[in-house]
Amino acid sequence: MTGFFIRRLLQAIVVLLLVTMIVFILLRSIPGNVAVAILGPNAYRNPAAIAQFNAQYGFDKPWYSQYLLWLGHLLRGDLGYSWNLNQSVASLLGSHLPKTVALVGISTVIALIIAIPIGLWQAVRRNKPVDYAFTSISFLFYAAPSFFVGTVLILLFADRWQIFDAEAPQGGLWECLTDWKAMTLPVVTLTLVTFALFSRYMRSAVLDNIAEDYVRTARAKGVPRRRELLRHVLRNSLIPIATLLGLSLPGIMAGALITESVFNFQGMGYLFYQQAQKQDYPTLLGIVIVIAVATVVGSLIADILYAILDPRVRYVSS
Amino acid sequence: MTAIVEPVSPPAGTAPGKPRSLARRGLDVFLENKLAIVGLVVLVLIAAFSFIGPFFYHTDQIHTNLAMENLPPGGDHPLGTDSSGYDVLGRMMIAGRSSLEVGLAAAILATLVGTVWGAVAGYFGGLLDTAMMRIVDAGLSIPTLFLALVVVAMFQPSKLELIGVIAITSWLTTSRLIRGEALTLRTRDYVSAMKVMGGGGRRAVFRHIAPNAVGTIVVNATFQVADAILTVVALSYLGLGIQSPDTDWGGMLNSGINNIYNDYWWQVYPAGLCIVLVVISFNFIGDALRDAFEVRLQRR
Amino acid sequence: MSPILEITDLRTEIRLRESTVHAVDGISLTVNPGECLGIVGESGSGKSMTALSIMRLLPQGGYITGGTVMLDGTNITTLPEDKMPAIRGNAVSMVFQDPMTSLNPTMRIGDQIAESVRIHRGASKQQAMARAIEVLGLVGMPRPAERVSNYPHQLSGGMRQRVMIAMALACEPKLLIADEPTTALDVTIQKQILELIDSLRERLGMAVILVTHDLGVIAGHTDRVAVMYAGQIAEATDTITLFTKPRHPYTEALFESLPDQAGAELTRLYNIPGMPPDLTAPPAGCRFAARCRYAQDKCRQLDPELITDAGTSHEYRCFFPVAPGTLEEHTKALKTPASVLAARAAGDTLLQLDRLVKNYSVTAGAVLQRKIGDVSAVADVSFKIPKGTTFGLVGESGCGKTTIGKLIVGLEKASGGSILFAGDDLSAMPRRERKRTAAKIQLMFQDSYAAMDPRMRVGTILREPMVIQGIGSRGEQQRRINEILDEVGLPSSAAERYPHEFSGGQRQRLGLARALMLKPDLIVADEPVSALDVSIQAQVLNLMQDLQREHELTYLFISHDLSVVRYMSDTIGVMYLGKLVEVGPAEEVYLTPVHPYTKGLIDTVPIADPTAEHRKESEGVRGELPSAIDPPSGCRFRTRCPYAQDVCAAQEPELRPFSPSGHRAACHFPLRQPSTGADHQVPSGSIA
Repeated sequence: MTGFFIRRLLQAIVVLLLVTMIVFILLRSIPGNVAVAILGPNAYRNPAAIAQFNAQYGFDKPWYSQYLLWLGHLLRGDLGYSWNLNQSVASLLGSHLPKTVALVGISTVIALIIAIPIGLWQAVRRNKPVDYAFTSISFLFYAAPSFFVGTVLILLFADRWQIFDAEAPQGGLWECLTDWKAMTLPVVTLTLVTFALFSRYMRSAVLDNIAEDYVRTARAKGVPRRRELLRHVLRNSLIPIATLLGLSLPGIMAGALITESVFNFQGMGYLFYQQAQKQDYPTLLGIVIVIAVATVVGSLIADILYAILDPRVRYVSS
Repeated sequence: MTAIVEPVSPPAGTAPGKPRSLARRGLDVFLENKLAIVGLVVLVLIAAFSFIGPFFYHTDQIHTNLAMENLPPGGDHPLGTDSSGYDVLGRMMIAGRSSLEVGLAAAILATLVGTVWGAVAGYFGGLLDTAMMRIVDAGLSIPTLFLALVVVAMFQPSKLELIGVIAITSWLTTSRLIRGEALTLRTRDYVSAMKVMGGGGRRAVFRHIAPNAVGTIVVNATFQVADAILTVVALSYLGLGIQSPDTDWGGMLNSGINNIYNDYWWQVYPAGLCIVLVVISFNFIGDALRDAFEVRLQRR
Repeated sequence: MSPILEITDLRTEIRLRESTVHAVDGISLTVNPGECLGIVGESGSGKSMTALSIMRLLPQGGYITGGTVMLDGTNITTLPEDKMPAIRGNAVSMVFQDPMTSLNPTMRIGDQIAESVRIHRGASKQQAMARAIEVLGLVGMPRPAERVSNYPHQLSGGMRQRVMIAMALACEPKLLIADEPTTALDVTIQKQILELIDSLRERLGMAVILVTHDLGVIAGHTDRVAVMYAGQIAEATDTITLFTKPRHPYTEALFESLPDQAGAELTRLYNIPGMPPDLTAPPAGCRFAARCRYAQDKCRQLDPELITDAGTSHEYRCFFPVAPGTLEEHTKALKTPASVLAARAAGDTLLQLDRLVKNYSVTAGAVLQRKIGDVSAVADVSFKIPKGTTFGLVGESGCGKTTIGKLIVGLEKASGGSILFAGDDLSAMPRRERKRTAAKIQLMFQDSYAAMDPRMRVGTILREPMVIQGIGSRGEQQRRINEILDEVGLPSSAAERYPHEFSGGQRQRLGLARALMLKPDLIVADEPVSALDVSIQAQVLNLMQDLQREHELTYLFISHDLSVVRYMSDTIGVMYLGKLVEVGPAEEVYLTPVHPYTKGLIDTVPIADPTAEHRKESEGVRGELPSAIDPPSGCRFRTRCPYAQDVCAAQEPELRPFSPSGHRAACHFPLRQPSTGADHQVPSGSIA
C-alpha cells in the first residue's frame, strides 16, 4: 500500500515537472521579445528594465538554465507579475481563485447530488421512458455549449421573468456565497453541464454492477430490492466516482471559464478570459500552472481515495 | 471495414444462414438505431445548408451595413439581421461552414496524432510507454480550452492554424484510448497463434492489431469531431477564434449576446440550436457506431 | 414423508429480441428431505434455468410461463415478487458456479454472511456476526473469527466457495441448490468442496440439488439423478440404476462418449453426431431423434411422454428405450493396439526437453522496479516424446504445463535448459531457421475462437500459415484449405464464413485444421477439449486420433483432466508446481502410480461410476497449492503429502526409474519399490 502511494506520488511529481516544461515552452514561444511581452509595451522605453529582466530570468543564458531559474521562481511561489493589472499574479489569484473554487465546488456537489440518484433510477428503469427522458436531457446539456445554456438562462430567468440577476455578484467571496439572486444562474449553468457527464457515468456504472454475479448472490440470500440497490450496487458504483472527479476537473474548469465570462463572474476563469484578450502572458501562464497543479493533485487524491475505498486495491501489497 | 486482408469471393446469395460480411452485419446494427439515423439525416441537412446553401441564397457577408442592423425576421431577411447588418440566415450558412470545417479537420488531425502516439506507446511498452504516457498525463492536466486560449492569444491564428491548435490540444485522450487498445490486442490469442506460425511483428501490427483497432479509432474520431466543434465555438464565443468578417456559430452567439436585453432572439437561438444539433448528432452516430462495431463480432 | 420440493410441468422461457428460447419445457421433479438430487446435462440443456426458476432469479427476459413449483407447501410461481426475498436464503438457498465473481468485492465476508441472518432472523449485529463465525467454522474455514473481517479477494477460490456455502447455510435452509459449485475450481479443491456439501447435508438434514455437467460428480455425490436434454428430462432414476441400466439412448450415448471407461478398455469413444437442437424452435418429435442411433420415423414425428418402468421410479422419455444391460454390447473400434504403441515408443525421438527452466520475475518498488523474486513456473523438466506418439501432460492449474507448451512453440523464452526438436536445439537456431521450424511445431488453443482473428473469414485464417511461410501459389493454398476442411469434417463452404458463425466443437475443428495446414510433425494441444461438452469432446478427441494415425502426428496433449489424458496418451507426465514428479507409460502411471501426488490426483478425479466412486478410500490431495514464488524446499509436494518427513524438506528427490518400461518418479517415499532392473536408491535422511 505505501509502495503504491510512493509510486503514485513520484508519478505526480514527474507529471508536474512536465507541465512546467510545457508552460516554459509556451513562455519561450511568445512571439517577439519575451521581456517586452512580459513587462508590457511600455518597456520599450526602458532598456534598463529589459536588461534587468533578462538577467533575472537568465535570458542571456542557455535555455536549460533559464528553465531552472524560472522553475526556482515558481517553487518560491513567484508566478510572475501582471504589467496589465499592475499586480503580482499570486495576489491576483488570491482574490480570484476562492470565488472560482466556490462556484466549481457548489456546482459539482449539486451536480453529484442530482446525478447519482438519477443515474441509478435510469439504470433500474433501463430502456423505459424515464431512462430515455434523462438520456435525452443529459445529451442535450452535454451538446449545448455552456455559454449557450447560460445565455438562454439569462434570457428566460433574468430578462423575461426577472427572477434572478443576469450578472454574478461583483463583490468578494462572502457576497458570492450569500447573494443567491445573483449566484443562482452561474451555479445552475455549471451544474447542468457537469450533471450530464456524471449522470451518464452513473447510469453505466450501475448497469455494469447490476449485472454482476455478486448482485445475484445478494438476491439469492433474500436481500430485498431496495437494500440490494443501495447496499450492494450503489456502493460499488460510487467508488470509481472518486477517480471520475479527479479526471473531470479540467473539463469542469473549462466550463467554469465560459460560465464566468457569460455572467461576468470575477473568478479565475473570467480573469483568464479578460487577460487573454490583452495578451497578459504572466497571468495566463500563472493560471495554467495553478489549474494543472490542481488537476494533478486532484487526481492524486482521487486515486488515493479510490485505493482507500476499494479493498481490492487496499490490500494488494500488504 | 475494408481492412480485411485478402479479398474473399462473395458468398452466393443472401439466403438465411448464408454468410454475411462483417460490414453488412455492422451496417444492420447501425441502421437499427433510430437515433443514429436521425443524427445522420440532421448532419447531412446541416452540411447541405452550410455548403450548398450559399449557392442558392445570396447574401453579402463581407461588408457591414449599419443601416440594416438588428432587423427582426421577415421580408428580405427570413431570420432578420445582426448588429452589423448581416443577414442572419446567410451568416448561419458561412458560420456553419467554418464550424464544420475546423471541427472535422481538427478532429481528424487529432485522431491521427493520437492514434500513432498511443499505438507506439502501447505496442512497444516499457520505458518508452511510461515516458510517452507521462507526457500525455501532463497535457491532460491542462484544460484544452485554457491551452488553446493561450496559444490563440499569442498567435492570433488563421483558420488553418486554428485547426492545428485545436488538434494539438485534443489528441491526448485519443492516444490514451488507443494505447489501452493496443495493449489488449497485443496479447490476444490470435496474435499468439500468428507468432506460432512464424509470423513477425509487422504482420501482427498491420494484419491483426490495426484492423481490429479500426472500430475504436472511428468511434473515437466521431466524438472528437463533436468536441472539436465545441472548442472552436467556445474560442469564437470568447472572441479569439475565427475573426470577422468570417465567422462561425460561436462568433454569431458572441455578437448576439451583446444584444441580449433587446430581445433580438434571432441572433441567439438559431446559431445555438445548430451547435446543439450537430454535436448531439455526432454523439448519436458515435454511440451507434460503437454498438455496430461491438455487436457484429459477437458470437451468436 | 412429503417432498420438500415438487415441480410440476415447469416451463420457463427467455425472451430475446427476435425469438424466444424455450429453456425449460415441461419439467417435473420432486426432492425429498435430506436427499441429494443431481441434475445433469450439457450446456443449454436447461439445467441451470431449472435451478434459477426455483429461486425465481431468472436473468433478464426470463419468465416462468407454466407449471408449479411447490416449495415446502408454498407455490412460489404465483407468489408476488415482494414475497420472494423472505423465501430466498431462508427456505431455499443457492450456491453459484464462480466464487471469484459471486461475492461482493467491497464487503467483508463476515458482513456478507451476517446480512442474510439479519434479514431473515432479525438478529442484532452481534448475534448475526456470531452466527457468521459459527457457520464459517462449520464449512471448514480455519480461524473463522479472524477471517470474518477479510474481503473476498484475500481468499483463494476454494475458500471463497466455502464462504458462499456458509452464506447459503446461515439460515439453515431446507433445500440447497448448488449450480456447478466446483466447475471453476481445481480437481483437488473440487473434491474437498463436494465432500463438504455431503457432510453438511448429513449433519443439517437438508436436501440438496446438485446441478452439474460432470457425470463423475453425479456418480459420487447424488442419490437420484435427472438427465436433462434440450429443456426436458430425458431420464430420471436413482443414481446406481442410471449408471448400470440406462434406458434413454442419450444417457447411454453419454456414457459411451466418456473417456473414463474407454481409457480402461482401449476402445474408441462413441461419437454422438450433430449438436443439440435450437430451443427457439424445438423439433416436433423427440428432441434427441436427430442424433439418436435408434431413431425411427415415429421419433421424428411424435414427442414421447415420460414412461415409468413398472415397479420402479425409473422414468425416461423414449419410444425405443435401451434394453437393460446392453450397455457393453456395442462393438467399438479398438484404439491403437499396445503392440503398435511399444514399437512407436522405441522409434526416433521427435522432441526432447532437457533440464528446461522458466522463471518469471516478480517486481516491486516505487521508482526502480527491483526484482523481489521469481515465480518458478517450470523447474528443471526433462522428457522425450517419440515420433508418432502422444505425450500427456497433466496437473492442477499453475503447475507449469501450459508454460511448457508455450516454451516449445516459441511464445516464451526459456530461462535455462534446452528444447531439442528432431535433434536440433530450438533456442540455438538462427532466426530464419527457427521460422521454418515453426511450420513443423503447431499449437492448438483451448479457446479456438479467441485464437482466430474475428474479422477474417475462415479461408483467410487457414491460409495465413501458408502465407507466412511462403508456401504454395494461391491455387495450391486454396486446394490445401479444401483438403484440410474435408479432413476435419467441415464443408468447403466453411471457408467463406466467419469464426463467430461456428459452434464450439466446430471451432475446435477449425483450430485443428489451421494447425495441420503446414503438415506439422508436432502439435501442442493445450486443453483442446476443456471448454466442450462431453458429446462434442468425444468428436474432437476421435478426430485428433484419426488424424494422428493418418499423418503420423506427434501430440503433446496438455490437460487438467486425467481421464482425457489417459485416454489420449501413450505416455503421461504428471506435473506439480513446476516439477515433473512422475512420468511413464499411460496405463502404468494410471493403474500403479508411484508418486503420492499422482495417486492423490487419480483418487480426486471423479469418475462416472457410483460403485467405484464410493469404493475410493484415499482422501485424495488435501489442502491448497502453495505459492510458486517461494516454492517449498526439497520436494515441492511435501506440504500436502501424507507421507512427508524431514528428509523431504531437506533434499530434493530426483526422478528415478521404477520399471524397465521407462516409468520414473521423483519421491523419497514412493508408493511402491522399483521393480527389478531399476537401480534402487534408498533415501538418505542424513540431514535430518
